[in-house]
Amino acid sequence: MGRLRQKGKAGAAKAYVTRSAAIKRLQCSLADFRRLCIIKGIFPREPRHRKRANKGSSAPASFYYAKDIAYLAHEPILKKLREHKAFAKKLARALGRGEWSSAKSLEDNKPVYRLDHIIKERYPSFIDAIRDIDDALCMIFLFASLPSNDRISTSLVENCSRLAAEWQLYVMRTRSLRKVFLSIKGVYYQAEVMDQPITWLVPYQFTQNIPSDVDVRVMLTFLELYQTLLGFVFFKLYTEIDLVYPPPLDLDKQDSGAGIGAFALEERNRDDMLSSVLSASTGQSNGKRVSSKAVRQAIKALAESSVTAEELENDVPSRDAESEHQDEMFVLRPSASNPGDAADLSTLHSFSSFPQSHVTNLFEPYTFFLSRETSRPIFEFIVRCFGGRIGWSSTTGSGSPYDETDDSITHVILDRPLNQRSDATGAELNRMRRRKYVQPQWIVDCINSGRLLLEEPYSQGKTLPPHLSPFSGREGAQELRAGITGDSAMDDMMEKNETSEEDEPDGDKSDSERSADKALMATMEASHSDPGAMRGVELQAEAVGVDYGTFEKKLAKTQKKGTKVGEGVNGVEDMNKMMLSNKQRKLYEKVRYSERKRQAENAKLEERRKELRKVQKRERKPT
Amino acid sequence: MASHVANRKRKPTAKEQLDASDVESFPGGSLDSLSSDEEEDRLLHESDKSDSDSVDAFPEIDTDSDSDTEGGDDVDDVDEGSSANDEEFPGSEDEAQDIEGASSENDLHIFPKAKTVVSDITGQPKKVYPEIEPDYDSDSSTEDAPNRIGNIPLHWYDDLPHVGYDIDGTKVLKPARGDELDKFLKTVDDPSAWTSAFDKNTQMDKPLTAEELDIIRRLEALENPDSNYDPYHPTVEWFTGKGKEEIMPLSAAPEPKRRWIPSKWEKQKVMKIVRAIRQGRILPSKPKATSSIPQFYAIWNDEPSSHAPPPLTAPKLRLPTHSESYNPPEEHLPTEKEQKEWEATDKEDRERDYLPQKYSALRLVPAYGQFIQERFSRQLDLYLAPRIQRAKLNIDPNSLIPKLPSPNTLRPFPNYKSLSFPHARGRVRCASISPDGAWVVSADEEGAVCLWEVIVGREVKRWSLNEKVGAVEWCPRMDASFFVVGTEEKLYFFMPPNLPPAIRLATKALLIPSALSSTPATPSLVKWVNFPHEPAPESPHLSVDLPASSGLIRQIAWHRKGDYFATVCGHHPCPTLITTTASGGGQGAVWIHQVSRRHSQAPFKKIKGSVQLVLFHPSRPHFFVATQRYVRIYNLAEQKLLKMLTPGIRWISSMDVHPSGDHLIVGGYDRKLCWFDLELSEKPYKILRYHSRAIRSLHFHPSYPLFVSSSDDGSIQVFHARVYSDLLTDPLIVPLKILRGHDVREGLGVLQVRWVPKQPWLVSTGADSTVAVWCH
Repeated sequence: MGRLRQKGKAGAAKAYVTRSAAIKRLQCSLADFRRLCIIKGIFPREPRHRKRANKGSSAPASFYYAKDIAYLAHEPILKKLREHKAFAKKLARALGRGEWSSAKSLEDNKPVYRLDHIIKERYPSFIDAIRDIDDALCMIFLFASLPSNDRISTSLVENCSRLAAEWQLYVMRTRSLRKVFLSIKGVYYQAEVMDQPITWLVPYQFTQNIPSDVDVRVMLTFLELYQTLLGFVFFKLYTEIDLVYPPPLDLDKQDSGAGIGAFALEERNRDDMLSSVLSASTGQSNGKRVSSKAVRQAIKALAESSVTAEELENDVPSRDAESEHQDEMFVLRPSASNPGDAADLSTLHSFSSFPQSHVTNLFEPYTFFLSRETSRPIFEFIVRCFGGRIGWSSTTGSGSPYDETDDSITHVILDRPLNQRSDATGAELNRMRRRKYVQPQWIVDCINSGRLLLEEPYSQGKTLPPHLSPFSGREGAQELRAGITGDSAMDDMMEKNETSEEDEPDGDKSDSERSADKALMATMEASHSDPGAMRGVELQAEAVGVDYGTFEKKLAKTQKKGTKVGEGVNGVEDMNKMMLSNKQRKLYEKVRYSERKRQAENAKLEERRKELRKVQKRERKPT
Repeated sequence: MASHVANRKRKPTAKEQLDASDVESFPGGSLDSLSSDEEEDRLLHESDKSDSDSVDAFPEIDTDSDSDTEGGDDVDDVDEGSSANDEEFPGSEDEAQDIEGASSENDLHIFPKAKTVVSDITGQPKKVYPEIEPDYDSDSSTEDAPNRIGNIPLHWYDDLPHVGYDIDGTKVLKPARGDELDKFLKTVDDPSAWTSAFDKNTQMDKPLTAEELDIIRRLEALENPDSNYDPYHPTVEWFTGKGKEEIMPLSAAPEPKRRWIPSKWEKQKVMKIVRAIRQGRILPSKPKATSSIPQFYAIWNDEPSSHAPPPLTAPKLRLPTHSESYNPPEEHLPTEKEQKEWEATDKEDRERDYLPQKYSALRLVPAYGQFIQERFSRQLDLYLAPRIQRAKLNIDPNSLIPKLPSPNTLRPFPNYKSLSFPHARGRVRCASISPDGAWVVSADEEGAVCLWEVIVGREVKRWSLNEKVGAVEWCPRMDASFFVVGTEEKLYFFMPPNLPPAIRLATKALLIPSALSSTPATPSLVKWVNFPHEPAPESPHLSVDLPASSGLIRQIAWHRKGDYFATVCGHHPCPTLITTTASGGGQGAVWIHQVSRRHSQAPFKKIKGSVQLVLFHPSRPHFFVATQRYVRIYNLAEQKLLKMLTPGIRWISSMDVHPSGDHLIVGGYDRKLCWFDLELSEKPYKILRYHSRAIRSLHFHPSYPLFVSSSDDGSIQVFHARVYSDLLTDPLIVPLKILRGHDVREGLGVLQVRWVPKQPWLVSTGADSTVAVWCH
């Protein structure tokens, strides 16, 4: 006989801990526990047997891994939280007693925790962090647009807007924006950083207020973590492209509403760069001598870094120079003494410099001007991400590189109904003729389709074509194409077919003809599989006196029927289904369920589309 | 010691004296009471407690004053005499004084004073009391008789005219109490009435004494009820205070040095801090600004400390679809009905959290009201929702369907309906095909039995029995040709017309032998009835009468040799009308008949359950009996049960055995079909459920690897069933074809299916009173 096993000493009862037990074990308050869980990324688990995990009780409870809780118990932040509790007591006491000086010194020595180690723990490598910044970006952009109040401090909002601007600057600089979608919830952006798609949602520019049913404490705790995370991520991203982090902020510009223009991207210190380049090259030559090429490069890099930040951002030649410089490095590297390393590096390098399939210089040749009713932060960001130059009227903020009268402007983005102005001067008319006036959706649709679309359907006052989501996969892409090119041709084709089919059953055919037709059909049906028989049928048809066009049509029809017969294969499958065991049948039904649901949804949409098309046509016809 | 004894002796007397004082019978006493009121009060007070108090607590009164006040009394003389004695005997002074005190305090001379005389015998002084003279004063009869009921709740006497009993046992009557008016007048008249209280014991008002009133007053004033208590008593200093100071120290040790020299260790500690401040290790006032700004650095430059996989990342949010666009294609916009439905559902139950909307221009798009809520709910999901890594089943559902050979490769099997033979009316319950496969005999519920050709459907002959026909079956013999029709309680043997003469003769010899074998010795319940040698063409050649009320013959099963056949009778079971008490259901339902001997016997004396079907094994002397739920296999030769199969069907409707004899299929009214491998197990090898209604009939083809099932849903399902002779390969069952063509009437579809013996053709009878032939 084995040893008696005591209940609750092993298995699920030991592996799981309820929340209240966890709090008791950690000796902290529920609020502190929540804060810890958020910061450490610990979440409840679903045990396979709730009752077993709860030691026989079936009362509702949320379970955590006992190991997670043990992990929390060693957390330095927990200690800091306890210290903070003591501090709060001391402070309240000092304030209550009116001991202002000791209160002040307490306040000065308030325990503060840092989250650096948490970031390192939760994201052991940089790529892990990059994969998980979607939510962080959403929150940062949301809080950047919130008004500050007693719960949300001004410094927090400022920090969020600074982080948001830094991210946008990075995306613009590396031109990594891929997709944009204007939805009813806000603007979805998708960028590709280190081959990871990063999607974030930015609300439209309206004043948001935090509703009462939302726990701000939770949001602020998340925000605390996200700010730190993004700080480290941006630091790494900026330093990888040799920029200074944090980018210096021009306060004057910010006060005048320059938005992201208030930040200046700055190359890293030239001395640093020189030394790094030198060290890299010497490292490659195994410290024998400093190669002349390396020196030349260093000098070149110095020359580049002296270009101002603004130029760096906007000018394409600098990018060209960069790529030249990269090419040269590419030439240099194989000459290094340890070929294995160099080969590795060079392949890496070539990967990064390889022109991606996505077009990132879509708007490079064009110069845009934003009309004052359009949202500047959205379109400034988008256009600059794709290499375009953009200006705006001074009413929407300072920092516009040119004003409306500039002759280089090729496109004006405007979002107002068409109204004829009669008092336009000759110069204005001239300008208007040279420029193209488009609605904002054009920009976004161009980006999503990866090419420049015709401006005509998007011009001022036109009813816009539907704006489709670029995230809907392959099927979505097809629809997108159809929607944009206008599938009227296809429509017409279909309609013709329909009408011809409707017209076909004429009453003037004689019975004999009909019977002949029927016989023909029967033979067709029988022989549509092999070409030899088909030819025979054709001849027969000629003999009967059916002209080629009608023959073709009938052929198509019978083939359709044939496919229906082909469903007989499906029928066999259906019959084979009866040989499934009960378990397998259930699985089969489960798998088929979602498929069918999706199909039904698509079919519904398709049907509605057809109906709408018919209605449109009917409306068009009388006119 | 002696004094104590004396005191104890004296106690009751003191009480009596008190009582006496109440009466005030003694003038001297009254005098005394007048003179020393205060003393008397104290006495009263003390005497109440005298039971518990020691006598020592009695106040001491000096006898002199007493003697002063009183004069010329003889008892006093005695007293004086005694005091004189006191002087003589200083040892007994106390006790004498006590006695005197006691006597003087009462001043009632009820009890005469004792004389102390020196005993002649012991030589010790002793007290001698004078004799009590029983006179008027000594009696206590003048006292009020106290109520002697004892410690009894007085409310027991509430309804009685008396209140207790006196010493003689006579009732002490309640004193008359006046009415309310009297009471009022009393209060008016008597000024002390308001300070009197009702005494229950005596049932009359008694005025409260001054002390009692004083106690009441004190209680009302929240004072201590004891009048002697002095709250302002000065403290009595016992150990401290003036003149009691401690002069000498406790220890003679000199005062230590540390009391007046600064601490060395403290100095060292302070100097440590001072040095730290000087060296800049401790900043006395830290600048705050540097600590609050987070410093970022290259945190990911060094290798991760552990190579454990990173924590499970949260799933990303769903990406937006077309319907979320500010300008979606119009088909995505909800109809009014959908919109209402969306608004009516709860927030948690909604399939999507937004309603698609269309705006003609971007400037018209408003702020999204749920933005912050959605962010918040996402965060709640991140830290409150349990996360599971679930392996998503990404398989093609079609891969689950077993790969079976195509039906086209398994031809021939019946494919289409070649002809249908109509019956006049009534459901066609049964049909049978002759062993040579040329003729079909079918019978309906109206009693019409039709004989027709399989190939062309030409009717050759028709018999009308005017009875409900339950079963019809050809004899499997090739050398004779006849069939048996089972009706209610009767079996008829018919011979088809136009037989070849040889067969005709053989059949006749079988059915109407010229020399009948002797009638069986034991009288049987079953009667075999002969018809004349040349019967009318309409009439049967032979009939068997089953015992009365055995019900309709439902099934006839021939043994392969064609001599024996078994019948099952009983009413047609209908699962909806469960009347299992049908007479045929039980043991009397099964009969085995032998044609050559014209003998019938019931094989089972007793059988559990109602028998539905029976079958002969095609090669062995085994007999299958299907009851409602189980199939039992008996060995007829050894007369014992071999096996009991449990198909798990609620009600078995049909059963057939494979021609090899190793496999059995059983169908049930609950739509299940079970395939048994008889050599394997009592449990089914395969259970199929594909008909949508009850299975009615099953049949294995005698030569082709086919079997068929028919159902109340009007369909016939043809299967390919290949059985391998090696034991390792499982039988192969391939569904081949679903034949539809029979109508469903009153919930009944295809009632019986039978294979044509030498062709892959099928004959099916339906409730729509047609018989169909299906050809390949």
